[in-house]
Amino acid sequence: MFTAIAKGLSITFKHMLPGHSTTVQYPTVKLKPSDRFRGLHRLVPTQDREKCVACYLCPTVCPAKCITVEAAENAKGEKYPRVYSIDLLRCIFCGYCVEACPVEALEMTAEYELANYRRADFEFTKERLLR
Amino acid sequence: MVNLTIDGKQITVSRTATIYEAALEAGINIPVLCYAKKLLPFGACRVCLVQVEQMKGRLIPACTTPVSEGMVVTTMSDEILKVRKTVLEFLLVNHVIDCPVCDKGGECDLQELTYDHEVVCNRFQGEKFNLETDEVNPLIERNMNRCVLCGRCVRVCDEVVAYGSYSFINRGFETKIATAYDRGLNCEFCGQCVSMCPVGAILPRPFKFKARPWQLKEVDTVCGYCGNGCTVTLGVLNNKVETIRFNDKIGVNDGNLCIRGRFGYSYVNSEERLTAPLVRKNGELVAATWDEALQAVADGFKQAGGAGLGILSGARLTNEELFLLKNLAKQAGTANLDHSGGECYKGLTEGVAGALGVAASTGTFPQVEECEAILAIRSDFYETHPVFGMVVNQAVKRNEAQLAIVADKRGKFAKLPGAKTLLHRPGQELEVLNGLARVLLDEGLARTEGVEGLDELRQALADFSAEQVATRTGVAAEALRETARQFAAAKKSAILLAYGLPYTAYSRELGIAAANLAILLGIPGRDGSGLYLCGEKANSQGVIDLGIMPQAGGLGAQAMLEAAANGKLSALYVVGEDVLTSYPDRGKVEKALDKVSFLVVQDIFLSPTAAKAHVVLPAASFAEKDGTFTNAERRIQRVRPGIPLPGQAKTDGAIFAALTEKLGGNLAFTGAEAIFAEIGRQVPAYAAVTFNGIGPQGFVWGGEILAPARRRLQPAGGATAVDGAFQLLTGSALYHSGTVSTRAKGPLAVINEAYVEFGRDDAKALDVKDGDQVKISGNGVELCLKAKVGNRLPKGVLFAPYHFAAAGINRLYKGEAAVAVTVSK
Ligand code: SF4
Ligand code: SF4
Ligand code: SF4
Ligand code: SF4
Ligand code: SF4
Ligand code: FES
Repeated sequence: MFTAIAKGLSITFKHMLPGHSTTVQYPTVKLKPSDRFRGLHRLVPTQDREKCVACYLCPTVCPAKCITVEAAENAKGEKYPRVYSIDLLRCIFCGYCVEACPVEALEMTAEYELANYRRADFEFTKERLLR
Repeated sequence: MVNLTIDGKQITVSRTATIYEAALEAGINIPVLCYAKKLLPFGACRVCLVQVEQMKGRLIPACTTPVSEGMVVTTMSDEILKVRKTVLEFLLVNHVIDCPVCDKGGECDLQELTYDHEVVCNRFQGEKFNLETDEVNPLIERNMNRCVLCGRCVRVCDEVVAYGSYSFINRGFETKIATAYDRGLNCEFCGQCVSMCPVGAILPRPFKFKARPWQLKEVDTVCGYCGNGCTVTLGVLNNKVETIRFNDKIGVNDGNLCIRGRFGYSYVNSEERLTAPLVRKNGELVAATWDEALQAVADGFKQAGGAGLGILSGARLTNEELFLLKNLAKQAGTANLDHSGGECYKGLTEGVAGALGVAASTGTFPQVEECEAILAIRSDFYETHPVFGMVVNQAVKRNEAQLAIVADKRGKFAKLPGAKTLLHRPGQELEVLNGLARVLLDEGLARTEGVEGLDELRQALADFSAEQVATRTGVAAEALRETARQFAAAKKSAILLAYGLPYTAYSRELGIAAANLAILLGIPGRDGSGLYLCGEKANSQGVIDLGIMPQAGGLGAQAMLEAAANGKLSALYVVGEDVLTSYPDRGKVEKALDKVSFLVVQDIFLSPTAAKAHVVLPAASFAEKDGTFTNAERRIQRVRPGIPLPGQAKTDGAIFAALTEKLGGNLAFTGAEAIFAEIGRQVPAYAAVTFNGIGPQGFVWGGEILAPARRRLQPAGGATAVDGAFQLLTGSALYHSGTVSTRAKGPLAVINEAYVEFGRDDAKALDVKDGDQVKISGNGVELCLKAKVGNRLPKGVLFAPYHFAAAGINRLYKGEAAVAVTVSK
């Protein structure tokens, strides 16, 4: 019996030795998530506008119904999103929107530090998403 | 009947069916692209290929091939699938595929076929179309890069609309759909091509980029403009009507609409809508609470005392509301109740009612398509009821109906094959009709069995021999005879007459003359034949059915206005009508409104009439109401609310109920269903159906063919000719209806101000060009109007539509058939 206890404790103590911990000292230390991680969205810009053409596919597919798009016509007669916003409080980070986008105008970045103080701060408008 | 086998299923279909139609009947769906139910088979796309055993395995199009006895059809096999896929690949070779920005995306036939057939790559490569989009007009955008050359737009504009905007030009890969000289679209903007295009090549501009089809809530209701009663399906997004959706499943219009129905919806969303009651204080109209406004109205009515109050209604209220209005009149103790100027409907209520004992059209619209002979009275029927016009066009084009038009101007119909216009001098319709009746009697062509009043009519028509009529009206005697003979020989025939506010002259007599002709031709009660008197407004028939007319001892509209002008009427309640703009003789109306000590106007806009009111009550548009309209063929149809009321506005019905209560009545507003049931108890014809029993095709009271109670011929007095070198006609323009369409962006985009139309000859003689300002004087009034030059008018005849308040056509027009005018620049 004692051998068993000793064996167990040795594992416990081994983890206490330096170099054996999985805890990261956030925020001093930050991990880089995997490439496939689904964090904050990003609207892909082109030279003079957003790549998004306001096709309404992402709001349609979004299971949390958190994307708002309002299309309009710009001076060149092109369709563009006059309003584009994501309510991150409702977003479940499923990535369906990215998958649905026919023009690859929407991506999900590695950014995961999304905590904030006010509800309004979770409303990610076009300006905040275009990066 | 023919027996055939489709995919192993034994079926029996009519001899005229195509394989596609037969399959549909058997519940087998064959994919199609260029096929459209209401158009003739065309066979342009080859998506519908099927195999027929008897044709040695060759693939043939299902949509154009008629069935034959013993046919064995296979609609799906690996080979067929492969070929269909190849067809789609070919279509996609030069298609731009910009679905993300194409408004058709989500309801595009090409998209759907491509998806269904899993066309994920294309084995063929070719240059993509790179054509300029046609955006020269404000309503319809054409992007020929997305066109699949199905020809549906070409066909609908020709077969149904009879306008003929489009045709195929060039050959091979260069083929495209173009307008005349490829100059861009400039037509009557009915939008039929928009609704027919299976892809995103023709789209409604007002709806551009507004929404995806799946985001829209669809509400089936009835067009709020004219008496045609077309079903419109509102596309609602965020409580706004954003577009009118295509719907050929229900209603009487087969998905057809005119510009007003399709593009004239925007007024319901207008910022100018009245949203709060207004009460006049210190000479100004200021916002008030409902309680205050209703109290003021109730007090005013009480002060006026029963007989001192007059009520003028419009004809765009629902039947249920009209019922409540009648109750309100009773509660207020007045018999002075009327609608629409009080004259124009007399063709029905006195003319036809006197002759046949029924105040309604005797047939239904779809029957007209099968008629052999059609008589359209009063200029262009097409302008007043465009979609019924399309039925007439189809009767002529598809079924070779003989069309005769009794008119003072050449209309669009005049160009139809075999159509003949009995072009008469202004105001002489009556003479022509009498002349036709006389020919029928003279030549023994008339059906006189069971007909009363034959001798009186014979006497009255003593002066109406074909020759006499010819000299007075300008219609050739031979044309009269020929027409009369044609109609006497036809087994099924229709007589159409439009009435409305701008057509008050001789309305009673015209109704009689039309009814006489109908009786002599044996039309009333005969299968497939009909006499159609079509009202101008959405519920013109309902207003008559519900009896919004002078009650026992009460005054009619004209008498009310006179009484008000003479100080004999102290309160006037105007509901849903801009009487100042639309009633004949504005001077008289103005005097009445100025003189009356208490004027209440209930409307959706602050119309010129409302601006004069002491109390203005904000009401609801058709898109906000629940109830029923009855169209010009007696079809009772459901009106459904699509959007909420703006601000504090209330439906007319709710206002009537609240007022009735204020006046001491105890009527509770129990909802449209209960009121409809109550209507049934008072109007027997409406008892045959319940509110919820009104089906998708509506309910035609009195049946498809309304049996006449009697056949009584009545003399209709001859019309007097109008002197003068120039005669001005007024009326309805195709693009507008009543006055409210002048608040709708669609119609305004095409015609945004009043005009006076000249024939080419007159324009040349007077040196008037399109767009010139001209002065028209007559009846002691001078109007300055923009000139428009067209092909329709004979020499000496001018036309000015009545819809625009600012133009004041009704200062000049006092209810006569035509006004003698002088023209100067
Ligand atoms: S799916 Fe892409 S293009 Fe469409 S609205 Fe969303 S981000 Fe824009
Ligand atoms: S027409 Fe259809 S297939 Fe073509 S771009 Fe538009 S939605 Fe896509
Ligand atoms: S809008 Fe009507 S008239 Fe104009 S092209 Fe289309 S179908 Fe023809
Ligand atoms: S424009 Fe539309 S309806 Fe006309 S041919 Fe092309 S695809 Fe067909
Ligand atoms: S205005 Fe008349 S013809 Fe035109 S869509 Fe409306 S009901 Fe039909
Ligand atoms: S649908 Fe039959 S050929 Fe186009």
